[in-house]
Amino acid sequence: MPRTSTLECSGCPPLRALTFDALGLIKVVEARDKQRGAPQVVERWGDPESSKCVMAVSMIDRESHPLLAVARKNNQIEVLSPVNGDIQATITDANDLDVQSEVNNIVGLHLFAKQNSELASRDCTLLTCTTKGNASIRSIELVDSSTVSSCIDSPKIWNVCSGGNILCCKVDGNEKFALFGGKGVEMNIWDLNNFTKIWNSKPPPKDNLGIFTPTWFTSATFLMKDDHRKFVAGTNSHQVRLYDMSAQRRPVLSFDFRETPIKALAEDIDGYSIYVGNGSGDMASVDIRTGKMLGCFSGKCSGSIRSIVRHPELPVIASCGLDSYLRLWDTKTRQLLSAVFLKQHIMHVLFDSNFDVKGVDSLPCKEQTPTEILVSEEVEESPLKRKKSSRNKEHIPDGGERKKRSKQSKERKKSEGNDGGEKIASRDEGSRSASKKRNKRSIPVL
Amino acid sequence: MGGKRKKSDDDDDVEAEAEASGWKKKTRTTSEREKEKKEPLRPSMIKNKEKRSELHAKLKHQKKLEKRAKAKARDAALKKALELGEEPPEKKVPRTIENTRELDETVCKPDDEELFAGNDADEFGPILNQQQTPKILITTCRFHSTRGPAFISELLSVIPNAHYFKRGTYDLKKIVEYAKKKDFTSIIVVHTNRREPDALLIIGVPDGPTAHFKLSKLVLRKDIKNHGNPTGHKPELVLNNFTTRLGHRVGRLIQSLFPQDPEFKGRRVVTFHNQRDFIFFRHHRYIFETKEVKKAESKGKKDKDGESENVPEQKTIARLQECGPRFTLKLISLQHGTFDTKGGEYEWVHKPEMDTSRRRFFL
Repeated sequence: MPRTSTLECSGCPPLRALTFDALGLIKVVEARDKQRGAPQVVERWGDPESSKCVMAVSMIDRESHPLLAVARKNNQIEVLSPVNGDIQATITDANDLDVQSEVNNIVGLHLFAKQNSELASRDCTLLTCTTKGNASIRSIELVDSSTVSSCIDSPKIWNVCSGGNILCCKVDGNEKFALFGGKGVEMNIWDLNNFTKIWNSKPPPKDNLGIFTPTWFTSATFLMKDDHRKFVAGTNSHQVRLYDMSAQRRPVLSFDFRETPIKALAEDIDGYSIYVGNGSGDMASVDIRTGKMLGCFSGKCSGSIRSIVRHPELPVIASCGLDSYLRLWDTKTRQLLSAVFLKQHIMHVLFDSNFDVKGVDSLPCKEQTPTEILVSEEVEESPLKRKKSSRNKEHIPDGGERKKRSKQSKERKKSEGNDGGEKIASRDEGSRSASKKRNKRSIPVL
Repeated sequence: MGGKRKKSDDDDDVEAEAEASGWKKKTRTTSEREKEKKEPLRPSMIKNKEKRSELHAKLKHQKKLEKRAKAKARDAALKKALELGEEPPEKKVPRTIENTRELDETVCKPDDEELFAGNDADEFGPILNQQQTPKILITTCRFHSTRGPAFISELLSVIPNAHYFKRGTYDLKKIVEYAKKKDFTSIIVVHTNRREPDALLIIGVPDGPTAHFKLSKLVLRKDIKNHGNPTGHKPELVLNNFTTRLGHRVGRLIQSLFPQDPEFKGRRVVTFHNQRDFIFFRHHRYIFETKEVKKAESKGKKDKDGESENVPEQKTIARLQECGPRFTLKLISLQHGTFDTKGGEYEWVHKPEMDTSRRRFFL
């Protein structure tokens, strides 16, 4: 029975997301309201051009000097600043050994967050991987111009597969191992220190009818940040498989999800639940320890899901895809928080977790009940301020604001607990505080 | 006794209604009080059929009278306004499902430059910019008979530069490969079920999208009364009401089937009209005729004709003659890339959970 009443999106906590679309545009979506605001597009970088279609992205998400790398369809890699979109370096893959063709696009890209000791802080290291399996690691120098910058040292190039097409490429949390897989390529794990293959998977046996499904991995993700041994892979034959390097070469666990190929996989920070998105726009979260589905994310999502990202701190995930919507979901209730229409087919989405809410750092931080989220936000209050933070300070008397803040934090804490009764209580408290807030806010405006 | 009371109440009711409609809201309170009394008066409350139908007929008659009086009053007001040279009272627009459509943020605005950039970059760009002439391959499902071939022969007459190929036992993917090699720009597959065409698959060939339509209400040319026979000229194309982003995409897919340089002397027009997500296909010939406008006719018209009342005027009118098939399409899915049921990615699929409102449309 379909839901007949229109469901109102509840809005999402303050966050900042970057979306990358088929025309090469990068759009910055921000939800700035401290309560529950609707996110909107605040910036757009780049010019629409189909040859600049974004193929892969990677971001170093840190407080100071964050970096964003974007690989485009014309085999150009741009390194830019996720704060203001300034291009810091551009390299083209023209010096590759392979013939440049349309089939040999970059599919995997990773920016190394941990710097090598011998490199200066102005450089960055990139891992790229093309469809044909040419992986390379190179360091590039960052200059504040859009001219083509050269690599510092000769790139380390190796081939990860002999045939087939690479479709997914991931680097684990410690950045020591990389994972490759694709159409006709079994899952490979490479040690990035000495560029050797340390493990590869084995296809599952034929079924009882003697039918062998050809290997075709479409997406993969490591299950935990600090453990490179367990990873999850999604296949074109709508199967999700859990591999454990230390156990066996065949999948430890595999289950089917709906009827269209798995197109996106993302892990949760808790280390056991994963998010699955497929080619017809279905999305679900699954407990990978048992293989049981926890629930579906339902919200009129009609196009293929290309990317799912979990916010590093908030209980929010973002999904995007061919229906040109960026959708933000609550991970616990699996309800749609908000959807933003972005006009183009979106290829990737990333969260910028260091986004400062306006006015947060200007407030006194005397909380009786500091929550996890608030603590983490306060930790981020760094000397580096985002440009929006200073502009929009509100001139509200301190006392009132403090009261409001404490109420808000209480609310948040309560909503984190899964207790039903508490939830109800917090809800009506929330509405009360919201109404109070509205009243108060209207005063300085007038 | 009961009937009597009914009658008297009824009169009250009519009065109250007239008051409420014609006068201020002061009377609303009385009418509301009346409502409680009025409640047992509905025809459905009466058990005796004769009495019930009597009352029903009476109510109906009253309604008719009211309607007529209203129309008369409206006409009088209009006439008066015309005589006094005032602005005529505004015409009321009936509320339909289309004009009370749910707010949709994907509806494209004409000043959206990102939209046009996106359109220029899509798969149909070379065809619609006339760098490439469309070449269509028409084929069928594995088994087809009776109405299928007839429909295809009519499609061939509608779409210029279309070629029919027997399906044989080829896989559709193989056919797509073949079409790529032979520089076709689109493939149309007519699917037949129980000797009746029921689905249409339009595949944009090198890497364009695949649209799957449900086909219904097919009327062939010979079943249309007074049908015309189309000439071989390139037709003009009319695409109506494709408003949203998805609608634009489907519209462009359809547009890419036809040559972009219509021969106007052929006076032949092909229409795809979208209404409530149903796409109606019509194929017409038209002709312009000059006709003398009668005085009485112009009087009935609005102020523009009123000025030139005395001059007998030559007026050109367009006459239409329908030819070719008539059918209705409904989009089921739009797939990214060419036909691939197993590994395909969808740009849009119809899902039952989207059908929660009658006023939500996707095209």
